[in-house]
Amino acid sequence: MIEQMIVNGLLAGFIYIIMALGFTLIFGIMRIVNFAHGEFYMAGAVVVLFLFGALGWNFFLAVVIAGFLAAALGIVIERVLFRPLVGNELPGMIMSLAVGITLQSIALILFGPSEQSVQRPFSGTWQLVNAVVPWDRTVVAIAALVILAAFYLFLKHSRLGLAMQAVAQDRETSSLMGVESGLIYASAFGIACALAGLAGGLMAPIYTIGPYMGELPMLKAFVVVILGGLGSVPGAVLGGLLIGLSESVLSTLFSSTTALIASFTIVLLIVVMRPTGLLGRGAP
Amino acid sequence: MKRLILLAAIVLLAMIPWVANNRYVFHIATMIAIMAPLALSMNLMLRIGQLSMAHSAFMGIGAYASALLTMRLGLPPLASLLSGGVLAALAALVLGPVFLRIKGVYFVLLTYAFGQIVNLVFQEWTSLFGGNSGLYGIPKFSLAGYRLTAVSQYYVFALLFTVLAYWMVRTIERSDIGAILQSLNEDEMLSRSIGADALSWRIAVFTFSAAIAGISGGIYAFYIGFLSPQAFGFQLSVDLVVMNVIGGTSVALGPLLGAIVVVPLPELLREAKQYQLLIYGLCLMVFLIFIKQGLVSLIDRPRRKPA
Repeated sequence: MIEQMIVNGLLAGFIYIIMALGFTLIFGIMRIVNFAHGEFYMAGAVVVLFLFGALGWNFFLAVVIAGFLAAALGIVIERVLFRPLVGNELPGMIMSLAVGITLQSIALILFGPSEQSVQRPFSGTWQLVNAVVPWDRTVVAIAALVILAAFYLFLKHSRLGLAMQAVAQDRETSSLMGVESGLIYASAFGIACALAGLAGGLMAPIYTIGPYMGELPMLKAFVVVILGGLGSVPGAVLGGLLIGLSESVLSTLFSSTTALIASFTIVLLIVVMRPTGLLGRGAP
Repeated sequence: MKRLILLAAIVLLAMIPWVANNRYVFHIATMIAIMAPLALSMNLMLRIGQLSMAHSAFMGIGAYASALLTMRLGLPPLASLLSGGVLAALAALVLGPVFLRIKGVYFVLLTYAFGQIVNLVFQEWTSLFGGNSGLYGIPKFSLAGYRLTAVSQYYVFALLFTVLAYWMVRTIERSDIGAILQSLNEDEMLSRSIGADALSWRIAVFTFSAAIAGISGGIYAFYIGFLSPQAFGFQLSVDLVVMNVIGGTSVALGPLLGAIVVVPLPELLREAKQYQLLIYGLCLMVFLIFIKQGLVSLIDRPRRKPA
């Protein structure tokens, strides 16, 4: 029972981490709380529904394309809609609400309100200690770990990644040092949306696909990111695992809504005591 | 002069339902009159530079309190309505000192989390709030033995509160308090250095705006006669922000115009709900980028910078 809860929690946690990373990246670089993050997740799932579900392409190829398309969408949206508002926190956030509404309604017009599903590319289960692990969740978890490792390497070792960290820490100084902010904004938004698109694509066979499917993951990412500290990558990882585990335990023992209420309450308390979250730094 | 013409136009607008004398027109007008004070309360928050996602919860608290106090405890509707406002204000008063220490994004996050918790409680505590299937059988509003039953009566009732809320916000805006709030938003350090207690002012605004939201919620509860948690979700707070952006945040007239334009949209586009959302999103984008100061700026050049 306990082993099963831990395994379920970790499996869920990995996807939360991927969602939260993108969310936190956009915040760290652009100071925008991206309320549309869940819609990029939805977009990723829709691409997989089409390429893998309808056209029968390879699942992983479909997921990678979903990531690229979400990135492209994100870059265009950043350039056209968010760039004019850079440095303006409030309008930036309201714009993300507008983007979320618009993407949702486009999905609604294209697909209607009905939920669709994709057949699972992997089936069966395997045994880990005393826990039963479904193969499809295992694939998602491994893919999430690979994405996480790639993201970490990119941030720590590539020029672009280092430049991003510099901008996140001090926008003015880094621009004085010759970091081109426009490029950074576009790539941060693109990478963040790619992460959401990949997460959505990976999860497509596990949940049903519909215009509103992004709302819950977005909510979770939100909770994870506040818990871990906005703008903090290790914080997103820690927060994702904690929320995944606590949810798994609470929803097994009580109900999933109880788990959601509990995670919101915990986060509220933590932010009240430590406004920057567990691993966040600097004054809010 | 322009302002006078505008005011006259709004008075004429307010009379349309009687000219049309149609139940449906009355309903939409009543919904505008219920949402307008809420948009005004959100405007107060935007004025102090804080985007609140808790105002849908404050409206919900007012609505459920008004309904339950009348239904379960048999309180007179007016007492319930006012208690609802007081409860919402109390919630803000308790949360304010904690939430408002925190500016910007974190405030949004905190109020968002609070709003979600309140909504989940409405959903989960079925025995008290009726859960997702809703709370039925809310009695009609009555005062001194006079029961409000017709839509037109609720329209007048809601309109009176809108006028009151508008008058209050307008008074604040023009008074010294308005100037203090403005200065807090523009240069907090400077205004603190001349003795303004920033946190206390913010708490006062948060509490006052929550009271307005709570009372609007109560009027909504008596008018609709049925409550469900969905009405007080995230979307409502977003709608209130949208009304402010489209109307303009710089003067109290802005959110009023915003409510007049935004509230009827879903009703007008009832046939094509999906397009309604699309139009909504696209309008918001256009306003954010091209008409930053809202409809008000098209009519009258605002003297103040938007929040």
